[in-house]
Amino acid sequence: MKRILIVGGGAGGLITANKLAQDLSVELKKEEISISVIDPAVYHEFQPGYIGIAFKGEKPEAMRRHVSSLILRGINLIPEKCARIIPEENKIVTGSGRNMSYDYLVVGTGCEPDYSQIDGLSRDNLDYHTSAEKSANLYRAVSSMKTGKIVVGIAGLPYKCPPSPNEAALLLDEFFTRSGLRERVSINFVTPYIRIYPAEPINEVIEPLFRERNIEMSTGFTVDRIDTAGKKVISLEGDEIPYDTLMLVPPHKPGDFLKGQDFTDEDGWIKTGKTDLHISTYENAFAIGDVTNIPISKAGVEAHLEGIVVGENIVSDITGNNVKALFTGRTQCSMETGYGKATFVIGTYTKPVLKLSPSKDKYIMKKMMEAMYWDALMGRTEAIFKAYFGDDYIQYQSRPVRAPA
Amino acid sequence: MVTVNIDSRGTACPGPLTDIIRAYKKASNGDILVVMATDPGIKADSKSWCDRTKNQLVDVKEKNGEYTVTIKITGKS
Ligand SMILES: Cc1cc2nc3c(=O)[nH]c(=O)nc-3n(C[C@H](O)[C@H](O)[C@H](O)COP(=O)(O)OP(=O)(O)OC[C@H]3O[C@@H](n4cnc5c(N)ncnc54)[C@H](O)[C@@H]3O)c2cc1C
Repeated sequence: MKRILIVGGGAGGLITANKLAQDLSVELKKEEISISVIDPAVYHEFQPGYIGIAFKGEKPEAMRRHVSSLILRGINLIPEKCARIIPEENKIVTGSGRNMSYDYLVVGTGCEPDYSQIDGLSRDNLDYHTSAEKSANLYRAVSSMKTGKIVVGIAGLPYKCPPSPNEAALLLDEFFTRSGLRERVSINFVTPYIRIYPAEPINEVIEPLFRERNIEMSTGFTVDRIDTAGKKVISLEGDEIPYDTLMLVPPHKPGDFLKGQDFTDEDGWIKTGKTDLHISTYENAFAIGDVTNIPISKAGVEAHLEGIVVGENIVSDITGNNVKALFTGRTQCSMETGYGKATFVIGTYTKPVLKLSPSKDKYIMKKMMEAMYWDALMGRTEAIFKAYFGDDYIQYQSRPVRAPA
Repeated sequence: MVTVNIDSRGTACPGPLTDIIRAYKKASNGDILVVMATDPGIKADSKSWCDRTKNQLVDVKEKNGEYTVTIKITGKS
């Protein structure tokens, strides 16, 4: 029996497991393969929904579902943490000390905000990158604010969903404009990049909106620490920005269990092949989603498309189907720009980011994609994605023909 | 004083600048960052970034579509 082990049942891990269960349903039924997902989380949260909770008062309950309700029949769900991955021995060790061997490994353990990197940040920051509950706290704070200086933006790199700090600034502007308080609430956007959005084509459509809406822009501002007594954000160069309310996106880190391994970099991100998604030099081990060191945005669409590529290659290996799938580097991050409009940050490894102006149509599309999320995790929307992403969905490369043994 | 080599080849905007900013965070004044990149945007972006952050752009070399950018860290307070 071939054992497929998926560590992390998030946006990437779930689609990988469900795709494998669909494509290898015969092998699964005949017990020629097993598919296991190890993840201690009881609920999976739709993280892009944190924006709606934090800045529009949407309900946290609508953004979460039981992990067990998101996996197809036949997949084993192991409610434990992975404590160590030992790829040279084809095994992992769980939090309870159990060894689990595998024939194929897929790691999709994501990443999380790392408050330890910025002194003072955890004391004052309102957070919309950790959980639905924390995002709801932010909305409560925003709703009771009548006046003051908001500092919003990026506290460190990398972080999930590159457009999310821009969305925050634009939606705060809409919120306070609609409530008639905008004149009394200032919004200052800080970023270590030299533009409001780092990719020039999107910056060209976003920066004018920031100007129109009187959102202050502090570019090239690399946050060093927060002086909570003096209520100031301090940069590495010693520049200061005063705040009353702080909403910075913290730098993110991968799980601590990945630090100091041969197959991870100095910060613990998994060294991953950009297109074949192999972990380091391991032929039977793959990494997907936010946990990789691949230099593209950390976003759900990437995690999904990577899961599909890895799934294809595992299926191909098991069934002896001589094709090899490659990840194209396709990104599709949505950016809500307020007043019922949105844009998308779309690019691949070989195609630069497109210049797409915000529109109502794109907002509707964003909402449609959100509505499809739970079905997408279950692998029920692939026909639509294939048609929509076209050549960017997967790139196929024939496998070299192996000499007979 | 240390020299930090950063390989940003094959990453497109804002990849190289992301790598520079992450290395800057860990660096001290006097350190040298040597960034290799294939994204032509690195030329203008590294200049603007150095101007904005009071770091020193020492050199930008281009050979066969590959850029080597040398930055001296001078901006930290
Ligand atoms: C505010 C916000 C807005 C966003 N907006 C967008 C958007 O518009 N578009 C978009 O595409 N993406 C967006 N994203 C990003 C997207 O949600 C993530 O990139 C995506 O969830 C990454 O998928 P993943 O599978 O890598 O990780 P996750 O979905 O985070 O899943 C990781 C899983 O691993 C588990 N895990 C962690 N450690 C262990 C361990 N040691 N052992 C076992 N299991 C473990 C966790 O419990 C979790 O279930 C947004 C994110 C945020 C925070």
